[in-house]
Amino acid sequence: MKTIERVTILCIFIARLTATPLLCEQPQPPASSPAAIEVEMIQAGEINLPTEFQVALYENLVQELQKKGGFSHVYREGDRNTAGASGLVTLHTTVTGFKKGSELERDVTTVGGATSITIHCKFTDKEGKVLLERDITGKVRLIGDNLKATDDFAKKAATVAQEALSSDSASSNSKSGYKNVI
Amino acid sequence: MKHNRIILWSFLLSLGTLTSVCLAQQPPAASASIEAVQVIGLTDLKQNTKGNLKVENGSLTFASSKTTCEIPAASIQDVVTGADSQRAIGGTVGTLSRLAPYGGGTALSLFRSKLDIITIQYRDPDGGLHGAIFTMPVGKGESIKEALLAQGAHTSIPSQARSTWDSPLQSEAMEQIN
Repeated sequence: MKTIERVTILCIFIARLTATPLLCEQPQPPASSPAAIEVEMIQAGEINLPTEFQVALYENLVQELQKKGGFSHVYREGDRNTAGASGLVTLHTTVTGFKKGSELERDVTTVGGATSITIHCKFTDKEGKVLLERDITGKVRLIGDNLKATDDFAKKAATVAQEALSSDSASSNSKSGYKNVI
Repeated sequence: MKHNRIILWSFLLSLGTLTSVCLAQQPPAASASIEAVQVIGLTDLKQNTKGNLKVENGSLTFASSKTTCEIPAASIQDVVTGADSQRAIGGTVGTLSRLAPYGGGTALSLFRSKLDIITIQYRDPDGGLHGAIFTMPVGKGESIKEALLAQGAHTSIPSQARSTWDSPLQSEAMEQIN
């Protein structure tokens, strides 16, 4: 009799333990309606940036923003359809640092020849109010050609944009580990 | 009679000379397709797609095994050429070769092939700005650029041939300024 009681209590205990996470999983509130984003062409500023890097940065950025989701639409610079877009966020980017490494040096030394690009990203709303400003760096350290640094930057920038702007997760404890400048 | 023949021959000779001069002044037409790699930029195409690049009928055409993309030359705002190099053995084999023992992978990476890069910026019908990058065998980039410029594309950096032709005028202009 005692054994049956013990087993019953144990079963109830196990059932409660199992059910607790399920009870905790409350339905997520629907994310706020994602904004549309317009990506402007990367500005080289005073940095002598090769055109292929400029174009690769822009194209990778557009592709990554489309891939990550989070935005209802990703517009390119000059797209006339932005006139009717609601909640439009514009991404302005300026290159602040560029070091063109060497693929050969990376292959041979495995420690030198890294390529890095640092870009100041500024997100503004339709009225020009700054929503977010961050410096993001793209790098290629070991395997891949120099343009791979542009892909690295685009992935990081898209993550930042998604986390900070597409929903209410503009907290500083984001997965990407970047801190807001403003 | 002899006099007439001389006139006729001299006329034909001068006509031939004029024709050859006129033909020489025509812009180079890169109608022959060039093997190229679309690094990034064309819609509906994956990165690093191999194909053939051609300039004809007022547009730049890139034909891969799966699809063909066409960009009107008039919509191209900027054409820029560049140069780079890549590992002679690339792709998966190239990556695996890095693991070769006794520094074999490092030695293989020393074998590199030069290539030309052509970067274009163009507008779609909605006005959206696009960019595309192509790589091709060395020496082919400039001919593609020349052909594009001849068919209505624009550039921020004049091509080498064009700048050489323009140099006497530029020097004259400089003298006038001075």
